[in-house]
Amino acid sequence: MNMVLHELRAYRKSTLIWMCTLVALVVLLLSMFPTFAKDAEQFKSMLRTMPEAVLKAVGVQIETITSILGFYAYVFMYISLCGAIQAMNLGTSILSKEIREKTADFLLTKPVTRTAIVSAKLIAAFISLLMTNIVYLAAAVIMALVVKNGDFEMSKLVLISVTLLFIQLIFLSLGFFVSVLVLKIKSVLPISLGTVFAFFIIGMLGATSGDEAIRYFTPFKYFDPAYIMQHASYEGAFLWLGMGIVVVAIVMSYLVYRKRDIHAV
Amino acid sequence: MHVIEVNNLTKTYGSARGITDLSFQVEQGEIFGFIGPNGAGKSTTIRTLLGLIYPTSGSAKIFGKDCIQDGPAIKKEIGYLPSEVFYYDNMKVKDLLQYSASFYKKDCRKRIAELAAIMDLDLNKKIDDLSLGNKKKVGIVQGLLHEPKLIILDEPTSGLDPLMQQRFFELLEAENKRGATILFSSHILSEVQRLCDRVAIIKEGKLIQLEKISTLKENNYKRFKLETKEPVSSNDFQMSGVNELKVEGTTVSFLYRGNINAMMSKIAAVDLANILVEEPDLEEIFMHYYEKED
Repeated sequence: MNMVLHELRAYRKSTLIWMCTLVALVVLLLSMFPTFAKDAEQFKSMLRTMPEAVLKAVGVQIETITSILGFYAYVFMYISLCGAIQAMNLGTSILSKEIREKTADFLLTKPVTRTAIVSAKLIAAFISLLMTNIVYLAAAVIMALVVKNGDFEMSKLVLISVTLLFIQLIFLSLGFFVSVLVLKIKSVLPISLGTVFAFFIIGMLGATSGDEAIRYFTPFKYFDPAYIMQHASYEGAFLWLGMGIVVVAIVMSYLVYRKRDIHAV
Repeated sequence: MHVIEVNNLTKTYGSARGITDLSFQVEQGEIFGFIGPNGAGKSTTIRTLLGLIYPTSGSAKIFGKDCIQDGPAIKKEIGYLPSEVFYYDNMKVKDLLQYSASFYKKDCRKRIAELAAIMDLDLNKKIDDLSLGNKKKVGIVQGLLHEPKLIILDEPTSGLDPLMQQRFFELLEAENKRGATILFSSHILSEVQRLCDRVAIIKEGKLIQLEKISTLKENNYKRFKLETKEPVSSNDFQMSGVNELKVEGTTVSFLYRGNINAMMSKIAAVDLANILVEEPDLEEIFMHYYEKED
């Protein structure tokens, strides 16, 4: 418990910054909605002049974009990108910062198992992501209510928003696994940004080519807002796949870290 | 009971560094010196004892329990001071020590205050703002605040000024009287001589010698450097106990081990311009042990 609190305190600042960023992003993006909605037909016809591939790549669906849900589904792609960076950063740094800041000796010579250390760090990371999501969800709901141009199904908006947490958990565990494999990470940002953008671009390419199989290779496409809007539920296969990745990455991280040599600096 | 029991411990990693087939025991209540040049494997041994790295073969026991299997239980009673101290920079000293104490299920506040007073450490400063020596003090308090039964020190004196070094040694002696066993690793012979009961000398990952400090002192070599007024011949100083004799005109140098009076009377017969008698540095001691090995 002491470790969880200590970790939370350590992430406090960055969690706050990311919270603000995500809230600002959703406020900014949704505040543009009234402008688009006002001249809906004109906007749609303008979009129709654009190449099909571009529209698919950036995730625009012309039929729904002028409804608040459709618009939210569209901008959510960028919010999830931002959230993924937060999660991957967090995941990559929670263990590697102990090595980088040379505090691993302090923690590992205390009477605790390595399993307990990993657990404490993961719990703290999970809590800080959860808090981010709660604040984000509140901001998204309030903002949607402010800018809406008609009634919409709140439950669908919440369903879409919650996938932010799912995507973040996937990237958190991926980042964590990477940091366990390569303990001596000099700088976290290149790794996390690189990984996140690679997956994001895979997602865009997949959307353009219309190749369904590519969806399996990028967490950004596991939770399709269009599907959620239609069915008010998630796609089972992808939900399981996401959970599978999280579980495997975390279990592997435990196994590797327990046997790892922590070298002097 | 042996507090530390190292059995055929081997750790190989990379190319050169590591330890080979190391065995020794540390008894209850003693101050055990662990000495060797940089890169000899002192830290590797200590890190294995602490479960930071895993042995390639062999085993180590502390308080009769296996270092790897029972790591967390053992560590309750270990205080560790690493050679380089790094802590969470954005914390206050007080908070760091509190965090450290929170791992041990006892109230350490009184002890923290005592130790901070002895080491003259300001608890309200941020760790960021501390000098190297003051960080070291944080390390010392951090290592001792839970009144451990075994204190492991890895080259602990670097960065401490002589006064603090003195207080630190007194503190260690007090801890030792209280019943704590101490493993003291260093490459500075005088520290080890001052503090330790027994000493293990390690070089290139192997145990070269394990001796009582008192024996080591008796066997201690002195380095003599003489300048004579008249040229002397090397025969003048050929006697048992003299090693590495070098005579060049009026300068003579050699290592001597044996009755100091015999040597002094021999020297008294020579017309001297200058004389220097010094403790051989560690390098020379190691050379000596190293040559004996061959």
